[in-house]
Amino acid sequence: MRNNRIQLTLRMIVAVLGLSAFSTAWSHHPIQGKFDPDQETSLSGIVTKVDWRSPHVHVFLNVADGNSIVNWAIELENPYILLANGWDENSLQPGDAINVSGMVARNGSRQVWGEDVVLADTGRQVYTVSDSSPEKPLAKRPVPRWPEDNRPVLGAAPGGAGGIWSYPTETALVEDGVDVGMNEYGLLDNIEDADKVAPMQDWALARYIHRQERNLRDDPMYLDCKPPGGPRQYQSDLGLQLIEDKKNNRIFVLLGSGNRNYRIIHLDGRDQVGLVTGDDDNPLFYGRSTAQWDGDTLVVETTGFNEGFWFTNGGLPHTNMLSMEERFTRTDFDTMHYEVTIDDPGAYTRPWTASWDLSWVGGAELPFSLCQHNRQ
Amino acid sequence: MYQRLILGLTFIMGLGVMSATATAQEGHPLKGSWIGEWSGNSAHGDFVLLVMDWNGEEVTGMINPGTDNMEIESVDLDPSDWSVEIKAGGYTIDAVIENLELPSRSLSGTWRSSNGSGDFDIVRQ
Repeated sequence: MRNNRIQLTLRMIVAVLGLSAFSTAWSHHPIQGKFDPDQETSLSGIVTKVDWRSPHVHVFLNVADGNSIVNWAIELENPYILLANGWDENSLQPGDAINVSGMVARNGSRQVWGEDVVLADTGRQVYTVSDSSPEKPLAKRPVPRWPEDNRPVLGAAPGGAGGIWSYPTETALVEDGVDVGMNEYGLLDNIEDADKVAPMQDWALARYIHRQERNLRDDPMYLDCKPPGGPRQYQSDLGLQLIEDKKNNRIFVLLGSGNRNYRIIHLDGRDQVGLVTGDDDNPLFYGRSTAQWDGDTLVVETTGFNEGFWFTNGGLPHTNMLSMEERFTRTDFDTMHYEVTIDDPGAYTRPWTASWDLSWVGGAELPFSLCQHNRQ
Repeated sequence: MYQRLILGLTFIMGLGVMSATATAQEGHPLKGSWIGEWSGNSAHGDFVLLVMDWNGEEVTGMINPGTDNMEIESVDLDPSDWSVEIKAGGYTIDAVIENLELPSRSLSGTWRSSNGSGDFDIVRQ
């Protein structure tokens, strides 16, 4: 009985630690489309209202401008992200004096991205968000395995605390071995590097550059709630869960981003065919996936994609000729190595491979975030 | 005169509605169905419809499929400025893709054939 209690307490501690660690994983949508990194400003004023709603919180601020007062809007992170970092709508109150600095809106309106928001009287910084990843144990923990077939467990270990995969070591798709500078949204530091990112056909390279030069503002995932299909689902900022349905030989991939979508990977030996009228007539955002084990690596083949979304942060194009081979290898308890080979003769000159790691966040659950909430 | 004005306005409004509901297409920018005008075309009328597809090597397609079909013989796309030359049925169309980022992007330029020439404007549906 006492042992059970200790075990339960330990599990709760792990869960709380996991949740608090995950809370720092979230980062915001690409904002360079709206705000100009080359134009920063500082403002001091009095808070008039905190508008706490998706997709982004706004703080309204009265700022003295000569003999008159003008109102500015300070845009902040998504409420989910701010809540997860310990903030709420009462963290600032109307009447508070604050100092703000950040990027100015490209369209010349009185809007600032609140990179730094500080209470004037105490100097306390508010609405801060951390992107740091959770600490991993010093000694690598062994890969958990299913007792019935000794296969690696891809999600939560049987009987263990739940968790999610998050903190991808790469947040945009780049061919393995290529070293180019880009930010967390996949925006290149130097547009001259565009042709190095992947072996694109001419039209695809030009389209990629066009998207980059527009600071990714046309991303349909943010504009129209299109799902983060393809490898993008493993580079999203809200994490994912792998739920293994051993009885039915399938794996559910549950996504924290997009519309809390799911994807099914079939391991029952079925053919790669469409559900209704075939892949050609019914292409999907996540394609259709079949898989088999290669030793301790799950190898997933996926085809049948539509062209209505961006399959990576940063805007690399794809066509409906895309097929992917994904390889999932849990290298230790806390690490999933993900490798994807892109074969899309419609957009690329040859197949190419990218890979990264995901970290296990024990005890964490996917946030209940729906893209539609951001459109209300 | 009044009737033609109403007809023209109806067509323009129809194009507007259709373009607002264009299917998202983030792949090859020419792929899809396009509707618009090649004005002053006495042989085939002012209104024109194009269907284009991309097979990874070339753009194929049809002008006015189902009515006065003309198979597209060649499409040359220059991604450096998004200019396009389309040849089909004795016509040469020189146009530029505008609003590339939109599903309802447009192709604007000119058409010419042995029978004449004029403006060419189509919008992706």
